[in-house]
Amino acid sequence: MEYFIGIDIGSSSIKTVLIDQNASIVNFSVVPTGYSFNKNSENALLQLLSERDLKILDIKSIVSTGYGRKLFKLAQKNISEITANAKGAYIISKLKIKLKTIINIGGQDSKIIIIDDSGKVQNFFMNDKCAAGTGRFLEMVSRNLEIDIENFGNIHFQHHGTPLSINNTCAVFAESEIISLLAEGHNKSGIISGVHHSIAKRISIMANRIGIEDSVLFDGGTALNKGMVAALEDELLKKIYVPEHPQITTALGAAIIAKENDESN
Amino acid sequence: MTKEVSDKLQELKIPELKSSLTSKLKNEVYKAISEIKTTFQDSPEGMKYFLNRYEDLIDDQNKDYKNKKIIATNCIYVPEELIYASGAIPVRICNGFYALDQAGANYLPAKACPLVRSTIGMIDNNYYPFGAEPLMVVNPSSCDQKKKMGEIQTKSNIPIYLLETPPVKDSDDAREYWLKSIIRFKSILEKTSRQKITKSKLKSAINKIYLAQNEFRRFNNLRKNAGIISGTEAITVINTYFFDDIESWTTHLNLLNNELEKKIQIKKQLNSTDKPRIILTGSPSIFPNIKIPLLIEKHGGIVVNDDFCSSTRFLYDTIAVDEWNMYDMIPAIAERYLKPSTCPNLSPNKDRGRKLIETIKEFNANGVVYQSLAGCHLFEIESLNIISLLRQSGIPVLYIEVDYSPENTGQIITRLEAFLESLT
Amino acid sequence: MKKIRKYIDNSNLSLFRSIIQIIFFIILVYGGFKAISISEKIPTFACPYNVRTGGTCYLINIQHQLHSEWAGFITWRGISVLTALLTFIGLFIILNKSWCGFICPLGTIQDWLTKLRRLFGVRFSRYNKTSFKSLKVIKYIVLILLLVIPLGMSNSFFGLPKITEDMSAPYCQLCPARTVLPAATGDFTQFYIDFSSTTTIIMTTLAMIITALFFVGSFLKKRFFCFFCPMSALQFLFAKIGLLRLVKVGNKCTSCGNCSRVCDIGINAIADDLENKFIVKDDCMMCFKCVEACPENNCLKVKFTGLTIFRSTDEGFFKRFSKTKDYNITIDRKLSKND
Repeated sequence: MEYFIGIDIGSSSIKTVLIDQNASIVNFSVVPTGYSFNKNSENALLQLLSERDLKILDIKSIVSTGYGRKLFKLAQKNISEITANAKGAYIISKLKIKLKTIINIGGQDSKIIIIDDSGKVQNFFMNDKCAAGTGRFLEMVSRNLEIDIENFGNIHFQHHGTPLSINNTCAVFAESEIISLLAEGHNKSGIISGVHHSIAKRISIMANRIGIEDSVLFDGGTALNKGMVAALEDELLKKIYVPEHPQITTALGAAIIAKENDESN
Repeated sequence: MTKEVSDKLQELKIPELKSSLTSKLKNEVYKAISEIKTTFQDSPEGMKYFLNRYEDLIDDQNKDYKNKKIIATNCIYVPEELIYASGAIPVRICNGFYALDQAGANYLPAKACPLVRSTIGMIDNNYYPFGAEPLMVVNPSSCDQKKKMGEIQTKSNIPIYLLETPPVKDSDDAREYWLKSIIRFKSILEKTSRQKITKSKLKSAINKIYLAQNEFRRFNNLRKNAGIISGTEAITVINTYFFDDIESWTTHLNLLNNELEKKIQIKKQLNSTDKPRIILTGSPSIFPNIKIPLLIEKHGGIVVNDDFCSSTRFLYDTIAVDEWNMYDMIPAIAERYLKPSTCPNLSPNKDRGRKLIETIKEFNANGVVYQSLAGCHLFEIESLNIISLLRQSGIPVLYIEVDYSPENTGQIITRLEAFLESLT
Repeated sequence: MKKIRKYIDNSNLSLFRSIIQIIFFIILVYGGFKAISISEKIPTFACPYNVRTGGTCYLINIQHQLHSEWAGFITWRGISVLTALLTFIGLFIILNKSWCGFICPLGTIQDWLTKLRRLFGVRFSRYNKTSFKSLKVIKYIVLILLLVIPLGMSNSFFGLPKITEDMSAPYCQLCPARTVLPAATGDFTQFYIDFSSTTTIIMTTLAMIITALFFVGSFLKKRFFCFFCPMSALQFLFAKIGLLRLVKVGNKCTSCGNCSRVCDIGINAIADDLENKFIVKDDCMMCFKCVEACPENNCLKVKFTGLTIFRSTDEGFFKRFSKTKDYNITIDRKLSKND
C-alpha cells in the first residue's frame, strides 16, 4: 500500500487528505489554522496518520498548497491552490459530470477556475482584495445576527419571496446596512438569504468576466451551506454540483498531484 | 508663523528629507541587485557593468553629468536624435522607485498611475542621475496622467515642455500634426541648449543611436536561445540605457553580446529549455521595480521577451533616411517615433496585437503575462482586446494588476505559480 | 552557403544597382557604336531614334505592328504580332519590373538628375494620397491610346474618318526618350518642331514640352516620368508571372513605413498592405530600395524562380545605414544556428 498526503494550509482552516495508490480517500481532517500554522499543520497531519496507525515514513510523498504552502517543512513539493483545486474537483466529479467551471468560495478569497477536458487549468479569476464574496462576509453576518453559520442553510429556505437586496458592495459597509435592516424589523431569514444573494451576485460578476460554462462545481467550506448553493444557482441560472466534502477538494487535489508526480518519476 | 520663518525651517529640513529619501532609494537598488545576483547564478560577466551603473546612479558623489547639458525625457515619443544633435544628453526619468512613488503621492492621488507618481517624485525632489540638472523636462501628451502631471507646480523650477503627441497614428492629419510638433520641438531644443542642430550633427546623432540599436537588436535576437540570459537581467540592461552614456552603453553591450554568442556556441544543450517561456506585455517594468519578471523567473519560468516601452520598444524601431539632408532627416525621425508605435494611447492599436503574436512565434513562447499598473486605464482597457486576441490564437495568458510596492507578493505569486503550472 | 547569403543580404544593393544602370546605359545608348543590338522587343526604353542604340524598345514595335488593317491580323502579320509579344513577355519575365529599376536608360538619367539635386541640397517633392491616386491612371490612358491610335490610323472606328498618318508612331512622337537618348550621344536633331502639318506641329511642340517637363520633373521628384510611363503599365499586366518577384511577409511587418519612405516613386502600399504576399504595384520599378530599408528579418524578400536571393535583415539594415568608424565595434555578426 502506498500513501500520499495533500495538505491545504488556508487562512482560516487546514485541510489534510490521505489517499492510497488508487486515489481513494483513506482519511481527512479540517482543523483551524490558528496562529502557528506550521505547527498546527504538522499536528493535523500526524493526527490524521495516527488515526490509521500510520507514520510519516509510510507516506511516499506530501504536497502542500494554500497560503502557508511554502513554509510547511514536511512537504516535498508545493503547488498553487488553483492547480490543486482544479485537480481535486476534476477527479472527484469525473464520473458524474463533465466539469468545466469550478467556483470556490474560501475564507478570505473566492476563485473561478475554468478547466479543459483533461482537467488542466485553462483560465482563472481570483478575488483576494475584497471581502465581499468571501466566507469572511458570512462570518461578519453570523456575528451580527448571533446565529451559527451551520444554520444558515436551513434559515435561508425559511424566507419566501424575492430576496432582500443588500446594496453595499463593500462587506464592511454592508454590516451597517444589515444592522439597519434588523432595526426595520426584517426577519433574519430574509437577511440571510439576502446576504447569500449578495455574495452570489459578486460571483456572477466575476463569472461573466471570465465566461463560465457547464458543468459547474462549487467547493470550499462555504459550499456546505445549502442556502448559498441555492442562491448561486439562482444568480448564475445553472445547475451546480456540490461534492460530498467540498472543503477538502483542494487538499485532495494536492494529494493526487503527489501521487501523479511520484508515478512519473 | 511668518513666511520667513517657515522658509528657513524648510531650508533646514530639506537636506534631512533628502538623505532619508536617498537611503531608501539606495536600499531599493541594492535589494534589486542582490536579488538578481542570488537568483541568477549563471549570470554572464558582462552583466557586471550594467549592475554597477545602477550603483553609480545612487552614488551621491558621482557628478558625471553635473556640467553637461541634460534634457530629461518622460516618454519614448521624445526623439533622442534631436537632443543629441543639439549637444545635450537625453536622460529618461521614468523610473521604478517605490520611494519616489511615495514622494509623488504628495501631489497625485492614491489611484493615480505609480509611474507618473514616481516621475513627479523625482522632479519634485530634484533627484536626477549623476548630479544632472536638466535644462528642461520634455513631457508628452501621450497619456492623460503624464500630460496633466506636467502642469503641477512642484518645488522644482525646471521648465516642463509639453511635446504634443497625436492620439491616432493612421490619419494623414495626425502625421502632419506630429511632424509639426517635432519641428517645433527642434527649435525649442536649439533655444534651450543654445546650439543649432545642423545636418552633420544630426547625422552623427542618428548614427550614434543606430549603433546602440544594432547592439540591442543583436541582444534581442540572442534571447531566442531561451535561458542564455534571464529576462530580468535583460530588462535591467536596457533600463540602463535610460541614463547611461550612449557610447559606453553600446560598447559594453557589444561585449556582453560577444560573450553570449560564445556561450551559445559552447553550450550544446541549455538545461533551462524545458522551462515555460513567457512574454511580458502591458505597463512597463522599470528597474528597480523588477518584481514581476523576477517572480516569474524565480518560480520556474523564463521571460524571453516583452513589448514594454521601457525595454524592447525603446530601441527597436529604426530610422530610414533616404537623403542625408534636414528636409529628409526630420520627417524620417518623426515617422520613426509614430508609425511603428504600439502605445495604448493610440486608437486603434491593431499593430500591438499583431506584433505580440509575431514575437510569440519568433521566441517560441508558451504564454503571455499581461500586467497593468493599478491606475493605468489605457493598458487596462486595451487588455480586453489583446487578451481575447491571444485566446483566440490559442495562447495562454494571465492578467495581473501590479504596483510599485515591494510587498504584497503572496497574491501575485499564487497567480503566477498557477499560470506557470498550467503551462507545464 | 550561409556566408554567401549573409554577404548578399548585408550588401549595398543600391551601389550594385547604380553600376548595373551605368553598364546598361552604355550598352543601350552607345551599343550601336559596336553594332550591338540586344533585341528589338526590349521591355524598356532603348530608342531607335538614337542612331547608336543598342536595342529597340517594344513600344515602337507594337505601334508599327498595330498600324494595320483588321484583315492583316489574320495573316502573317498576326503571327508576327504574337511572336513579338511573346518575345517581349519572355524577356520581361526574367527580370520582371526590374527592367525599370536596373536597366532603363531613361530611369538612369532620372536617377542621375536626383543625385544632382541632392548635391545642391534641394528638397524633393512627393505626391499626397489623392494626387497619387488620380495621377496614376494617366499611364493606362497613354497605353490605351498608343495601342488604339495606330489601329485607328489603318481602320475606321465606328464609321469615323481614319486618324491622320502624321501621327506615325504616336507615342514615340511624345516620348522623352526620343529627344533625350540621342542627345546623350551628342545628337540633338530630335529637338525640333515639325511644321509640315497641324498634327506634327502639335505633336512635336508637345514633345518639347514633355521633354522639358521630364527634366524639371525628374529634378524635383524622384523618377517623375515613371509614374506616367506606358511601358510600366504594359509590364504590370504580366508582372504576376515574372520569375523575379518581390514578396512581403505581412506578419513580420512592424508598420514602421521605412519601405514607403525610401521609395522613389512613393508607393504607400508596401507599408500599408499586410495581407498580400505579392506587393508589386503598377508603379513599382523593383529597385529594391524598400528591401534595403526594411529592418525586420525576412519581411521583404526578392525571389527568383522561388529562391530567395535577397532579403531584408536587421544586420543588413545597420550595415547599410550606419557607420562604425567612431567605435571599435563591427556590425557583422557571427553566424549562429538560428540563421
